[in-house]
Amino acid sequence: MEFFLQQTVNGLTLGSVYALLALGYSMVYGILKLLNFAHGEVYMFGAFAGYGMLTILGGSSALVVPVWLALVLMFLAAILASSAIGVALERFAYRPLRQSTRIAPLISAIGASFFLQAAALLMFTANSRTFNTPQLIAIDSGIPFGPIRVWMVRVLVIVTSFVLMVLLYLWVNRTKTGKAVRAVSFDREAAAMMGIDVDKVIVVVFLIGSALAGIGGVMVGLVFGRIFHIMGFVAGLKAFTAAVLGGIGSIPGAMLGGLMIGLAEAFTTGYISSTFQNLIVFGLLIVVLLIRPSGLLGRPELVKV
Amino acid sequence: MKPILELRSLSKAFGGLQVIQDLDLVVGAGQIVTDDDPVVGQGEAVADLDFSLKPGEIVSVIGPNGAGKTTLFNLITGIYEPDSGDILMDGRSIIGLSPEQVSNLGVARTFQTLRVFLNMTVKENVMAAAYGNTKVGMWGSVFRTPSARREEKQISDLAESKLSFFGERLMGYRWDQPAYSLSYANRRRLEIARAMATNPRLLMLDEPAAGMNPAETHEITELIGQLRDDVGYSILVIEHDMHVVEGISDRVIALDHGVKIAEGSFEEVATNPHVIEAYLGAGAAGTK
Amino acid sequence: MTAPDETGIGVDEWVEQSEGRREGHTGFTAPARRLFDKLTPGSRLTLFLLAAATYPFLVRGSDVRIGITILLLAMVALGLNVVVGWAGLLDLGYVAFYGFGAYFYAIVASDQLPAHWPTWIAIPIIVAASALLGALLSLPSRRLVGDYLAIMTLFFAQIFVELVRNFERLPFVPDDLNLTGGPNGIPGVKPFEFFGFEFNGQELLGGTLPTFSRQYYLVLVFLGLLIVGLHNLNDSRTGRAWRALREDTLAAEHMTMPVNRLKLLAFAVGAGIAGLSGALFATVQNGVFPNNFNLFVLIIMYAAVILGGSGSIPGVVLGAVAIAYVPELLRDPTKAGLLFYVGIAVVLFVLVRRWDKIAATVGGVFVLGLVVRFFSSRIWDESILGEVNDTSLSRLLDDWVLNFESQRDVITSYAFVLAIVGVLLVVLATGWWKIAALIPTLYLAILVWENKLVFQPSITRQLLFGAVLVVMMAVRPQGLLGTRRVEIM
Ligand SMILES: Nc1ncnc2c1ncn2[C@@H]1O[C@H](COP(=O)(O)OP(=O)(O)O)[C@@H](O)[C@H]1O
Ligand SMILES: [Mg+2]
Repeated sequence: MEFFLQQTVNGLTLGSVYALLALGYSMVYGILKLLNFAHGEVYMFGAFAGYGMLTILGGSSALVVPVWLALVLMFLAAILASSAIGVALERFAYRPLRQSTRIAPLISAIGASFFLQAAALLMFTANSRTFNTPQLIAIDSGIPFGPIRVWMVRVLVIVTSFVLMVLLYLWVNRTKTGKAVRAVSFDREAAAMMGIDVDKVIVVVFLIGSALAGIGGVMVGLVFGRIFHIMGFVAGLKAFTAAVLGGIGSIPGAMLGGLMIGLAEAFTTGYISSTFQNLIVFGLLIVVLLIRPSGLLGRPELVKV
Repeated sequence: MKPILELRSLSKAFGGLQVIQDLDLVVGAGQIVTDDDPVVGQGEAVADLDFSLKPGEIVSVIGPNGAGKTTLFNLITGIYEPDSGDILMDGRSIIGLSPEQVSNLGVARTFQTLRVFLNMTVKENVMAAAYGNTKVGMWGSVFRTPSARREEKQISDLAESKLSFFGERLMGYRWDQPAYSLSYANRRRLEIARAMATNPRLLMLDEPAAGMNPAETHEITELIGQLRDDVGYSILVIEHDMHVVEGISDRVIALDHGVKIAEGSFEEVATNPHVIEAYLGAGAAGTK
Repeated sequence: MTAPDETGIGVDEWVEQSEGRREGHTGFTAPARRLFDKLTPGSRLTLFLLAAATYPFLVRGSDVRIGITILLLAMVALGLNVVVGWAGLLDLGYVAFYGFGAYFYAIVASDQLPAHWPTWIAIPIIVAASALLGALLSLPSRRLVGDYLAIMTLFFAQIFVELVRNFERLPFVPDDLNLTGGPNGIPGVKPFEFFGFEFNGQELLGGTLPTFSRQYYLVLVFLGLLIVGLHNLNDSRTGRAWRALREDTLAAEHMTMPVNRLKLLAFAVGAGIAGLSGALFATVQNGVFPNNFNLFVLIIMYAAVILGGSGSIPGVVLGAVAIAYVPELLRDPTKAGLLFYVGIAVVLFVLVRRWDKIAATVGGVFVLGLVVRFFSSRIWDESILGEVNDTSLSRLLDDWVLNFESQRDVITSYAFVLAIVGVLLVVLATGWWKIAALIPTLYLAILVWENKLVFQPSITRQLLFGAVLVVMMAVRPQGLLGTRRVEIM
């Protein structure tokens, strides 16, 4: 039972990060029908920006500011770096291709992802970095959860993600900009004719999606310690799958998909073997894709004839 | 004489929207057959005779925008499955067949939204459509066997003859140009040529004169007539331009909100009060 | 950056001008392209094969290996071109078939298994098995379009690598059976051998041809046959149906084409070619390792197809030559430097196009370098104390570009970020602003190059390939030799 709960908490932690990433994928896909392969790299750069801020502040063991302030600054740094990259991607890699073939932006995205990975390798080398979180937040801090105790960092990750997702949901459904986002993702041309500034809406979507990814990057660094230059690839892949699983374009779907994948992964690692973690998760997802190509909460696309 | 195509109380709804409702329609039976009066024995000869004189018939479908005309086409060609009712080709139900299977039964169509293969040449567009009537396999093509060459030549001749149907419009140097370099009017022509290359018996044209100027419209009207007279297709055509409809139709049916509101000769339909109301109600200019 | 004439496609005015556009070929490559257009496909192939056949005589010994790499990339990229370029199916799992063929050959032609299959039996079986695998994997993908297909196939590729890495640890595998060699791969793969004629070993046929050359010609023969076969196929009923499918699947389906069967066939043909190339790769490399089939390799294949021109056979071959040859140049700092500065010159030429502006830019960069060096030496001695790296070209830059002794990594990292920002600004700016942005950008690029990239060929290569994909898509999505594609949604 204890073990089960432990894995559940692991899964929820991982799942909330996947969900944050999946949201970015899902929103971008919803609005541009573009699979933003470079999203994982945006997340990776967020993690490194957070790490950079931590280093500037003296590192985990010799912080010059209070812990809470350090955390806030780390997240801010990640948000800044990630959204800058995300917006630049949109402006330079994707926007020139809006009128071109369907396959072109996808290839551009793959290229951008590859380029960003190499850039990270150049700047950060292939060595991984560690946040040394236990020195930041004591490992025995936290709240009791049945027979186990949940480390404060995990609580922070799960609660923050949840709050962010609720905020995002409210933003999309309640605000004027959110309405514009929905309009553009429903029919870009019609939205443009209704006087919506489509370019601006797309930039906003990239901004928010990338910021969420950056936050996710710092979270992963905090919880799992290690960050490295290719961490974005597999995480991005899984997050995209989470988005697809939940129903791409759907915000609750991305959350659901992210949590499910996190849990599936944690239980595979816990009960079977971490060797097969990726194998089983990918296999599972292929099956899900086959049974429900439009995802759990997604709507099938209309065919226009 | 069995009709080529027969619809029996066909219905289709999208979500809550009833797009086609209890629609009956018969196409390609000459002009004397009604579905509840099968002609047998002596009558058959008459039907045959009639058929040989007038091998196909041209049925026009009219109706305001959103009336369900294109949806009707999509149901027939197998893009959607109807909610109820039946579609018969030569007396056999084709419900559940894929568009490919339907096209191999001899139904070819054009698209209102123009779906030519943009980045293939004009000639290749037409050649591609000969796929169903040719059979050289992959290895035959890889090794260019004699039979593959022969068939390739046939396909090429077929495409050229279909394209020649449109005279100067799709002639000569244009054959080797990518289809995207054609004007919209020429793309409509190319779609017809491509449909002809599938060797159909029933040709379904979705707004063939849309976007054409009066001269071109006149031309396409004559061409549709020729398609029936020279080649012998039965033709089901959706058209908004009443001059075209008047010029070509043996029979006209009018749809409104998926319901057949009138059927008969052009004059009968054009003067039908329901039809006039449907058009005026939809804000259109009505019958001209 | 969208070409202005794209907006009006189909509109009468656009149609009228389309004659003019067909004249095409402007700029400094125009004569070459016109000549290329005049040649028949047959004579193009002959010329290519002749040129390729002389290559082993022009280079020494092991440099022939580079040629083999190029030819193999061309083969496997041609297979990818069938799936992506013709049928329009975005297959991101393609590298798995390459790996499958390679591992298959390695397993039956090494000491992994007691049975050593003769080459002439192994090859056809491998091709057939790869094609079958391709067909099988395409079955579940049938209903998926576009992006979903891409993601699904990407998973297949991931699963392949995971399987190969962890094979002996899989639950259903007996302990003593280690087919794939796990993370260590399979070394010691036997060379090709056709009826006693070995494509390896030291002496055969009087020892006239060295080992590498023999393998080189073997691959060249396969490539030649493949090109002919694919050319014929493209110009056939099947090839046309594939392209129709790519252009508009629904319309193709209405025009009697069995789209599912055609998709399956495209996957199978692509996979078969990949399997064949993989087997050749295994014998040439004398071994296979999991990292030979990772995503990086897939990107290289895509880069070759995209750069050369998706859909065009000569394009893909040209793309493969470029993509496989560049990394070899990068290995040698002198050649790499040459490549870098020639590259800058070309970019300058393409971007600026006016001699006065080009002169202004070059002068500006030079002056900027001197100024920066002057001030930095005042403020911080270490900025010029460093040893100049030892390439002849760089020695020219001795007195000009900064060479850091300490903190080189940190400073170049910042310079790199600034250079990227500079490039983006150059893209945005127009007129003299462009020049203004270009000058510091070029300086920073040279700084990063001389201090870091020149020593890091693998990173440079990765940066380059990523950038190639992005830039080609924005500037010339049809690739070097492809024809422009138009899509209207
Ligand atoms: N795939 C679909 N999903 C939902 N509604 C559809 C679909 N296809 C058509 N419709 C609706 O059916 C109605 C009839 O459309 P259509 O057949 O295209 O009309 P038209 O007579 O102008 O050709 C329209 O209201 C349209 O919005
Ligand atoms: Mg319509």
